[in-house]
Amino acid sequence: MSLLIGSSVALAFSAFAAKGIVMDRHYADLHGRGTAPAPALRQRMRTLAWLGLALSFAACIGASGWHIGPVLWCGVLSIAAWTVAVMLQYAPRKVAQGAWIGIPAALVASVLLLLH
Amino acid sequence: MKDGLRQSMAWVHTWSGLLVCWLLLLVFMGGTASYYRHEITFWMKPELHKAAGAQSIITPAQSTALALRELQERAPKATRWTIDLPEERNPLILATWQNPPKKGMTREERRDAFRKQNFSLDPATGLQTAAPRDSRGGEFLYRLHFDLYYMSAIWGRWIVGVAAMFMLVAIVSGVITHKRIFKDFFTFRPRKGQRSWLDAHNVTAVLALPFHLMITYTGLVTLMFMYMPAATKVLYGTEQNVMFGEVFGNAERTKPAKVPAPLADLAPMLAQAERAWGVAPARVAVSHPNDAAARVELYRPSGKQLSNIEPSMTFDGVSGALLSQTEPVSTTLAARAAIYGLHVAHFADPLLRALFFVCGLAGCAMVATGALLWGVKERQAYAKVVAKGGRVGFGVRLVDALNIGAIAGLPIAFAAYFWANRLLPVEMAQRSNAEANWFFIAWGAAAILAQIRPTRAMWRFQLMVGAVLMAGIPVLNVFTTQSHLGVTLFGGAGLGKVAAFDLVVLLLGALLGWAAWWLGHKAKQKAVAKQPASKTGTTSNMEAA
Repeated sequence: MSLLIGSSVALAFSAFAAKGIVMDRHYADLHGRGTAPAPALRQRMRTLAWLGLALSFAACIGASGWHIGPVLWCGVLSIAAWTVAVMLQYAPRKVAQGAWIGIPAALVASVLLLLH
Repeated sequence: MKDGLRQSMAWVHTWSGLLVCWLLLLVFMGGTASYYRHEITFWMKPELHKAAGAQSIITPAQSTALALRELQERAPKATRWTIDLPEERNPLILATWQNPPKKGMTREERRDAFRKQNFSLDPATGLQTAAPRDSRGGEFLYRLHFDLYYMSAIWGRWIVGVAAMFMLVAIVSGVITHKRIFKDFFTFRPRKGQRSWLDAHNVTAVLALPFHLMITYTGLVTLMFMYMPAATKVLYGTEQNVMFGEVFGNAERTKPAKVPAPLADLAPMLAQAERAWGVAPARVAVSHPNDAAARVELYRPSGKQLSNIEPSMTFDGVSGALLSQTEPVSTTLAARAAIYGLHVAHFADPLLRALFFVCGLAGCAMVATGALLWGVKERQAYAKVVAKGGRVGFGVRLVDALNIGAIAGLPIAFAAYFWANRLLPVEMAQRSNAEANWFFIAWGAAAILAQIRPTRAMWRFQLMVGAVLMAGIPVLNVFTTQSHLGVTLFGGAGLGKVAAFDLVVLLLGALLGWAAWWLGHKAKQKAVAKQPASKTGTTSNMEAA
């Protein structure tokens, strides 16, 4: 259960990070003033972000059920979003690197949910 | 009228927020602390700590038997006994009883008497724990956040209800007026003056929006029968209690038969409930013990559902037969129970509880940054006047002073409450009232000082006082109790919450200290930058913070 919650936090962080690094302001912070992400890249990241959020929701439901799970998910989202907001300001490169954590987290969450 | 809606919403947001923000800060801080109200109460009764250090090895049936034996001795004629069995958040066996009301007793006297009708047992030895000091603990903070203090609870609830309604308006209008809610979703830019305050306000508000909306709305729903009585007035007139009895069923009172009869053995009932639920009951209530009409109610522990109404089983207290189980309630009632349950969060396990606590702190930060933002914005209108050596307007001065008194003053009040708990003599009469008085003495002093000199130096002074008092609590513990961090960090699981309390106040103290240091640092930087310019002794603060 705690592994599921952990992967849910990682997935939410990864999703927000993916969304954040292709936003105009933060992309320019990372790649230099005046640069903008390619539309295809932005679209891809957005899709991945929504997938990540959906899977993070599923992981919370898997961990705590339909009663408590959605409440837990809201808390997880807030924590993940604050982490991304602070990191985008103070360590933007780490956000881009940290976003990869979503891949192993997605694997762990999927396996645990299927075994459930 | 382009942008008309957004602009008018900005106006609504500003004024609905500013009008009640200081009271809201009190409500948010008290409410946030209430997530740990049992832990705070336990911390504030250090006499109980010794018993909690030992691991409980006793079964629920044994715990119940121990408590019943004691209750039979001390209150055989009570109308109701209640026993809370040891669990994660409560390490002891807690028992209370209600006596039949004597004629001529006022409500207040009955309440005072009830506060004395309780005892706690050590689950390891079955013996009574040392009598704890008279303190209301977390209960005071919990009540404070909707009843206020020094006034009747009804008045307090109306005032808090109006403030909560304003808060709801502020949240909704804030979302509408936030132009770049998605573009600035993760944006926090420090060291940019007003911009940074706005970013901080947005980040604490938007990223925990589900929580803020939920807590404000559900808070109003908890007292909906008081705020919106029209429907029940039409149906029940002045007989509101009949309505509560019919709707919730919990007001249903059986009458004693006035025929003595021995109480049946509770162990089989506990076993039956445990078989049905998969967990042992958390609470046992016996109405009319030693009477032919005795009833035993067993309640399931919380943690499985949002609803605050836990399933229960009722047994005949003489024959031991199962009489009824809580039936599935109507959808409307279930919805209300879930909404109510969301607010009080009895279901939350330690992780979820911590998340609620952090979101509550974010709510405090949202209210505080919003209050500061008004002053920062308004002050710009006076920038030229101040540069020439003039003074800011009355409104700005007043808001500044109230901000200091609330944002820096409230942590002092909370810390003073905890200090009073440790320092007031244990045998003092009306001790729990004295503790509460110290909360308001400290807060009053902070608020008055802030009104006299609402300056940057006052901000730093009060933040520093708050920091020293908060972070000093664990140190104070070393001198006043046997359960300081040196013991609790290495003690049994039962003492973990005492250690956690000390660590959290230490952290909050560090945070306040950092804020005070940062303000001083800022002032120095500004002084260096402004060296060539004329030195004016104005009451400027926060404008470039």
